[in-house]
Amino acid sequence: MTPATLYGLCSAVLVGAGLYGALVNPQPLRKILALNLLGSGTFLLFGVIARRGAAAGLGGDPVPQAMVITGIVVAFSATALAVALLLRVYQETGRTTLEQPAPKDVV
Amino acid sequence: MIWLAATLLLPLAMLFACLSQTLRYRMSNWLSVAAVPGLGAALFAPEASLDLPPFLLRLRLSLDLPSAILLGVAALLWIAAGVYAAAWLRDDPRRGRIAEWWLLTLTGSLGVFMAADLVSFYLLFSMVSLAAYGLIIEGRAADAQKVGLIYVALAVFGEALLLMAFVMLAQSGSASGPGDGLLIRDAVAALAVSPWRNAILALIIGGFGVKLGMVPFHVWMPITYRTAPIPAAAALSGAAVKAGAIGLLRFLPLGLALPDWGNVLTTLGFISAFYAVLIGVTQTNPRMVLAFSSISQMGVIAAVFGMGLGAPNADLALIVAFYAAHHTLVKGGLFLGVGLAPLSGPRRTWLVLVPAAIMGLGLAGLPLTGGALAKLAIKPVLGDGWAGTLGILSSLATALLMTHFLFRLAALPEAVAPNALHGRLRWSWLMIAAASVVVPWALYLMVMSGSVAYALSPASLWASLWPVVVGATLAAGLRPWGSRLPRVPDGDIVMLVAARVARVAGRTAAALEWLDGALRQWPVAVLSLLAISAILAALMLVRV
Amino acid sequence: MIAPAALLVLAIILPAAGVVLALAAGGRGAERVAMAVIAGGAAIALAIAGTLWSTGAPLSYIIGGWAPPLGIALRADGLSAFMLLTSALVIGAIGLFARATYVQPAGTPERRAPLVFWIMLMGVWTGLNAVWLAGDLFSLYVALELLTFSAVPLVSLEGKPETLAAALRYMLFALIGSILYLLGCALLYGGYGTLDIVLLSRLARPEPVVFVALALMTAGLAAKTALFPLHLWLPPAHAGAPAAASALLSALVVKGSFILMVRLWFDSLPGIAGDGAAQFMAALGSAAIIVGSVLALRQERLKLMIAYSTVAQIGYLFFLFPLAGAAGDWERLAWTGGIMQLVAHAVAKAAMFMAAGLIGEALGHDRIAGFAGLGRALPVVMFAFGLAGMSLMGLPPSGGFVAKAMLLTASIGEGQWWWAVVIMIGGLLAAGYMFRVLTPALAGGAAPVILAARISRPRQAIVLGLAICALLLGLMPLRPSALLEVGRTTQAAEVR
Repeated sequence: MTPATLYGLCSAVLVGAGLYGALVNPQPLRKILALNLLGSGTFLLFGVIARRGAAAGLGGDPVPQAMVITGIVVAFSATALAVALLLRVYQETGRTTLEQPAPKDVV
Repeated sequence: MIWLAATLLLPLAMLFACLSQTLRYRMSNWLSVAAVPGLGAALFAPEASLDLPPFLLRLRLSLDLPSAILLGVAALLWIAAGVYAAAWLRDDPRRGRIAEWWLLTLTGSLGVFMAADLVSFYLLFSMVSLAAYGLIIEGRAADAQKVGLIYVALAVFGEALLLMAFVMLAQSGSASGPGDGLLIRDAVAALAVSPWRNAILALIIGGFGVKLGMVPFHVWMPITYRTAPIPAAAALSGAAVKAGAIGLLRFLPLGLALPDWGNVLTTLGFISAFYAVLIGVTQTNPRMVLAFSSISQMGVIAAVFGMGLGAPNADLALIVAFYAAHHTLVKGGLFLGVGLAPLSGPRRTWLVLVPAAIMGLGLAGLPLTGGALAKLAIKPVLGDGWAGTLGILSSLATALLMTHFLFRLAALPEAVAPNALHGRLRWSWLMIAAASVVVPWALYLMVMSGSVAYALSPASLWASLWPVVVGATLAAGLRPWGSRLPRVPDGDIVMLVAARVARVAGRTAAALEWLDGALRQWPVAVLSLLAISAILAALMLVRV
Repeated sequence: MIAPAALLVLAIILPAAGVVLALAAGGRGAERVAMAVIAGGAAIALAIAGTLWSTGAPLSYIIGGWAPPLGIALRADGLSAFMLLTSALVIGAIGLFARATYVQPAGTPERRAPLVFWIMLMGVWTGLNAVWLAGDLFSLYVALELLTFSAVPLVSLEGKPETLAAALRYMLFALIGSILYLLGCALLYGGYGTLDIVLLSRLARPEPVVFVALALMTAGLAAKTALFPLHLWLPPAHAGAPAAASALLSALVVKGSFILMVRLWFDSLPGIAGDGAAQFMAALGSAAIIVGSVLALRQERLKLMIAYSTVAQIGYLFFLFPLAGAAGDWERLAWTGGIMQLVAHAVAKAAMFMAAGLIGEALGHDRIAGFAGLGRALPVVMFAFGLAGMSLMGLPPSGGFVAKAMLLTASIGEGQWWWAVVIMIGGLLAAGYMFRVLTPALAGGAAPVILAARISRPRQAIVLGLAICALLLGLMPLRPSALLEVGRTTQAAEVR
């Protein structure tokens, strides 16, 4: 197994875990964390791709690295915004859940 | 040219003037003026054509003899109804809004006779259909809003059918869609070779059938004519409904012999013609009776179209226009009479009932009236076969229904304040009553090149007289039984079916609401997101 | 004189600079900055569209002289020009409309909402213009995130608990969507070593990695566009936001991710997805039309009704995929029709949300059952509402009619008549929910309506003006638009 494959598998596991977390966790904070996991998996995938570009004789493809850095900034802002919103929700309601009214029964 | 432009522009300019609060409340006095250019166009420019500047949708307006006839009588009715409305709405706080809807409906109603290309036809047809909604909901009846919704639902349904038909027509007629001001003439000519001919014909008959009130799409007609203010009901029942007639006239490929489609249309038409009489005689409100008579008469027109579709007839357009013109004047006039009757006090018999009898029985073909000429005109089209027999029977049925109407008109209770009778109400009614006889005669002699000798020959007179006599006698005989006839709720059996359909629709909607609620749960939504990406990937992979 | 290509940079930089300046100026300054940006942005949009119109060729600008695949290019084709103009018009109207709501009177303590509104308005505009102009899929990702991050605070501008929850749900769901999109980007880059749209369109071949990438990206973008059944966040977010913000969100923000989808399917990976996937997208769109319209019919509150109408109207956009993707004569008409639907809906829906905002302000509530006689109390607003409704119903003359007529024509012409049936049913249902509001407002109510607040005339005029624009779009000839084709044919030719 090459390191690239190993990293790729790791990234797949992270993406899967992130999606699972986002799907099943009712707590918004945990969803935010799960999304970060999902994001990390994606960034790792970019890393694998940059590494693969190295086959051309270079030390590594710089473009995916630039993308990862941009992506991290974006993910950081997203997390900050989401957590800020969650804090406001907590201040206003004292709860940290997002209950949606359950569907009404057919009358 | 100038007349055609003025027919559209004058009412629109008046509508624009309604932006001013002061003018809006005075506008109801001037409604009759709005239709004058239409009459002028029909009289002085019956063959004119006008292209609008290309930056405005490339509309083309043009008239030919049949459409000029329809335009002229429709304008005449709008003028008379406008005079009537000025008096009728004198103290009505809603007159400002009614005037606005009136002008919009009028523009569409007159414009649709002149539209020569697909886009402007659809535009003006929608205008007359949808603006009428405003007139209907201004009625005083308690259920005016509900009636308005039923009307608009059917009107939009009809338009949906037509839009579909026009889109398909446009494709047969040009390579680039309905743009480029495609003329109706060219589009219909291409129908001969269109692969979708049957679908287009079905959509056209359905779409215009809604406007003409063909059974079972007639539900809107009785309730709207019961609800709308009297002068508006007059204009709608006489003039606006003819948008359906001009539609069939323009869009049916009358040059092709399509016997199957002809038989379908004739059968549908006669079903309407007789069904409406059957329900109509059970009605007590004279307005409802008139509405059912309209359904019946539009059925006859559809039947005549059907015969023409089966066996091409060069004069068909003219004949139908002539028949429809007579109906325009009579039906519009009779509605004005219904408004007048309770106000006319002791003069009701001579002022209202006698002219109404001449007009009403004229619809059945009473000799010497315009109706007799109209029946004479359609006779050769219906022929001597089953259609001809049904045609005679429909005259008889019409006589029955109109006699019933006269009884109901006579039985209308007196208004509380009969002195409210305004001179304008009276003379616009008498003018339209006179026109319903004079105009058909003038058209018969000058346009239809009919002969007086033939029209007045004993054979013709007898042929048109006996159905009237039999029908009227039947109605008189039926009168004592009137109270025992079954009552049909709100004018129609179809309403009962509609109520059931509405219940089913309500349940479906509730189920969809539940589905929406379920899909909007977070885990379901995330799962759908993953499912969509999986399905998309699978669909792309499978193809390779 | 500025070189035409530099205008593309300016279109993004100007609102972005506005954001920074407004933050620095604060208070009343924010509004002034926004007004200046609106004027400047409109001029730039007109200049770009005018250049494209007169030259008939797309514009492009290579940032910093570094050519793709290493650098980044900005490109403006006909679609960009249409979208630049639409966003300038709608944002201009919203900005003027919002001046009355988000004022910061002199000498009063600074309030949070006005500052946030003006900054986010310009933030949304930056994001939108970047989406219209960006030339590679990664820049588009950044632009889309900018758009989302600016849009989310607008939802909870009033700080009420339910709108905060709606904003958070919107944010989280949009985040899943954007990460899926980014994952697709990674796969595409891994496959071809570039994310530049033009380069990618030359390299991409139908193979599994592209399929997976395209599926992930499309699904992620569909979540941001609120395509049924991924619309969980839209009704509470759009109905809960203040009127000006709802108008912005419904009219433009959801269109950003849709345009990205168009760039992906038609420009970056033309012909890759195949007919099955395209039909599937349109099937989801059909479900959106039916379910969204029926739900709109059943809402008791006006703003929720309009929000569900957005769910339905978004559905029409997805007919673009099977209709404009097919080869043949009708493809160009479908292209114009689909984009016209987008533009017409943007203009009409913005007008409608603002009209609803004025109604809510005047009445103090937005329950449809309490609208009897409103037509007399607020004639101009109801008139504007009705005009906007005409466009949504697809009645002539209106932009909505032109769009639907073109989509109908194309679907019949390509033999895909089933979409035509859905379009017809959607029109009927739209008439249903519009007339449900209009009927009591126009008729009914013998008693005069008591208004809780007076509505100033200029605000009514802005709403009416925008509604009239929706109507004037109906004067467009029913033909493929020449401007929309700019850059499209040449790009397609490049690929072949």
